[in-house]
Parts: sequence; structure tokens; C-alpha cells
Amino acid sequence: MPDSDNDESGGPSNADFSSPREQDRFLPIANVSRIMKKALPANAKISKDGKETVQECVSEFISFITGEASDKCQREKRKTINGDDLLWAMTTLGFEDYVEPLKLYLHKFRELEGDKAAAGSQPPPPPSSTHNGAGVPVGYGMYGAGGGSGMIMMMGQPMYPPAASSGYSQQPPHHQMSMGGKGGAYGHCDGSSSSPSGLRRHDGL
Amino acid sequence: MEPSSQPQPMMGVGSQPYPAAAPYVPVPGSLAVPPGSQPAAAFPNPTQLSAQHQMVYQQAQQFHQQLQQQQEQQLREFWTTQMDEIKQANDFKIHTLPLARIKKIMKADEDVRMISAEAPVVFAKACEVFILELTLRSWMHTEENKRRTLQKNDIAAAITRTDIYDFLVDIIPRDEMKEEGLGHNPIVGLPPAMGAPADHGSHPYYYVPAQQVQGAGMMYGGQQGHPVTYMWQTPQGQAAEPPEEEQQQSA
Repeated sequence: MPDSDNDESGGPSNADFSSPREQDRFLPIANVSRIMKKALPANAKISKDGKETVQECVSEFISFITGEASDKCQREKRKTINGDDLLWAMTTLGFEDYVEPLKLYLHKFRELEGDKAAAGSQPPPPPSSTHNGAGVPVGYGMYGAGGGSGMIMMMGQPMYPPAASSGYSQQPPHHQMSMGGKGGAYGHCDGSSSSPSGLRRHDGL
Repeated sequence: MEPSSQPQPMMGVGSQPYPAAAPYVPVPGSLAVPPGSQPAAAFPNPTQLSAQHQMVYQQAQQFHQQLQQQQEQQLREFWTTQMDEIKQANDFKIHTLPLARIKKIMKADEDVRMISAEAPVVFAKACEVFILELTLRSWMHTEENKRRTLQKNDIAAAITRTDIYDFLVDIIPRDEMKEEGLGHNPIVGLPPAMGAPADHGSHPYYYVPAQQVQGAGMMYGGQQGHPVTYMWQTPQGQAAEPPEEEQQQSA
């Protein structure tokens, strides 16, 4: 059902934008629409321009929070934006109500990913300062490593071949490289041909 | 003296872009008095006028307070629900929003270098909450206008009323904001402590649902009545459009 809904709404969404690149600026309208309906009565309807407006608002929200978090990282001479930076930015920008639920969410995520990382990485990973970003705090590195490992395990099947997933999970220090790899993927996605397939892969989740 | 002094605050509040043309709409009941440019001539009995004004004012004030309490209650329930849902969350493989797309949007900022794996996960939940809250606040405006279809102008109203949404004002076209200005939405969003100004500003809104109140609205002059009529008619036309129904079916 969700896949079918996504396919149906994907068409109009693509047709509305001038290019696939433009589409990447927003979250999928089907996902946005589904969430909107959860806040409304059963007999409520949403106009198309209403859905598109919320799409724009969400992208603006992400950029707004990210910008503030990025500024903080630069002031503290850190290169990686983490979950706590986002929560700090939300507090600073007036979204205090969001922080308490999200702190709980992030805490549970880290707990779960920590367990997965411990179970997944059987061989002890050798410390490799070359791969770790210079100046990354030890405490943060631990969180980042855990999150990275979990992310790879979550995304491994739909996004990467098993070999790559296994390689990353065995050596936690490479998680920093995996982020770089995703950056490269972003560059690749600039091409118009790969964007639709990326959308489909995510719909499969 | 009372008849001439009473209408003046209303006229001040009712400074609308539209000219002061008075629409003649027949209103049944004891309040069936055609609006005119001469308040004194329209209301020969000062005592009766004063009593009627007070009654209408109190009704509007009560209606406004009830509506605000209901909306605050809805928001409190919303946040309680969010906390409960997060407490029950145990599967982080399933997200309502695609993480890679979130990451692309974050990366659109050239200053952003590296993003930890947990950041898109946090944003996936944050954006879900953001969409839910924005939609809920927009729906409040839809309901105030007696519609069942949430539209762009409802979102514009929510953005105008809510301080933390100031960063979104550029997304709303000027005509949407102008339309909101007609309805005095910013005043409605103000806390009750604002007192008389807020209540005065809310009159055009709360006269529409009740026939008696609507008639009273007409009594205060064309400037008040005309915007209300305009606000009431436009959404009806939009809601009747077939493409929206088609959109709903495909969704």
C-alpha cells in the first residue's frame, strides 16, 4: 500500500518541478501528506497547494536548524554536526517544546545502536588515527562511531552491497570515511538519472 | 453622545483595504437594522444601543476565550501524544521520512561539512513533529472558516500567528498574508492578556457562525461586514473545485 501510494504521488510531484534536482530540495510529498493526515480528522481533506506549502516549510525548517548548528560547530572548531548540536539549535531558535521529546528519542536511538554495534563488531577494531578526523573529541567519537555503525547496518541492505557493509562494520574508525562516501553519493545524485532510483530505494524502506 | 462615541473604536479596528461601501444584507430578528453612515440616525435609542453593544461584546469575548482554550487544549494533547509515541519507539530502521533526502537538504548549505549518522535520524523525528504541529495549527484556521479542506491560506494563517514560524514568512505569498490581515488573525493569536484590542479585532471572525452575532456585525457598518462576507465566500469556492477531490483520491 505505501509503495503504491508513493508511486501514484511521485508522478505529479515530478511533473510539478522543473527538474529532478529541484525535487531533491523537498521531502517526498507522499510522506509529508501521510504525516499531515495524522494531525487531522478522518474526514478532513488537504489541497495540493497545502501539501506543497508544507513541503517547502519542512525544507526551510531543516535548513534553518542546520544553519544554526553548523555555526556552532564552526565556533567550536568541530567538523561534524551531531544530534546534540541540532537539539541545541532548536532551543536557540525557539523550538524548546521539541527538545524534550527528541532528547528521549536520541537517547533511545543511541542505546539501540550501541547494542547493535557491540553485537555486530566481533573482531576488536584497531585504533586508526589516520582515518579519524583530527581534533574529534573522544566522547563524541564514541557516539559518532556507534551511530555510524548503526546507520550502516540500517542502510546496508537497500543502499550498499553486503561486502561494503561488512567492511564498514568491522572497522568502526572507517565510519568517518563512510560519511565522506555519502558525500560523494550526494555529488553523484546531482545527475538527473540517479535521482528517481534513489527515491524508489527509499520508498522501499 | 454615547451613540456617536461607541462606533468610533470599531471603525478604527475596521480599517480595511476595502472602501467604506455599506452592503445591504437583510438580517432577521430584533437586530435587523440596516447599516448606515449616520450612527445616530440608525440608533435613535441610546440606552438600547448601549445595551445591545454590551451584549454583543460579551458574546464575542466569551466565544473568543472558549476557542482559545480549545486550541490550547489541542496543543497540550498534541505534545503529550508526541512524548508517549517516542517512549514507545523501539525500531529505528523505519522512518517516516527518507534519511538520505534529509541529508541532501542539510548539505545544501555549503558551510555544512560532515554530518553524523544520528543527525538525519533526529531530523526525521523533528520534521515529523514539525509537520504535525504546523498541520494542527493550520487546521484550527480551517475550522474557524467552517471548511473541511486545509489550504495554503490556512498554513499562512498558522505561520502568521505563531512566533517560532517567523522564519517561514518568505514562503507565504503577499496576497496570502493580505488575506489574513483582513481576518485579523494576528490578533486572534495574541494571549488573552491583550484585553480589549484583541477582542475588538476578533469581532469580524466570531460574528459569522451565529446569525444573531452576524447581524450585529452588520450593525457596525459596511467596513466590518464586507470583509467577513469576502472571507466567507472565497473558501467555499475553493472547496468546491473538483481537482482537489481528484487529488485526494490519488493520494
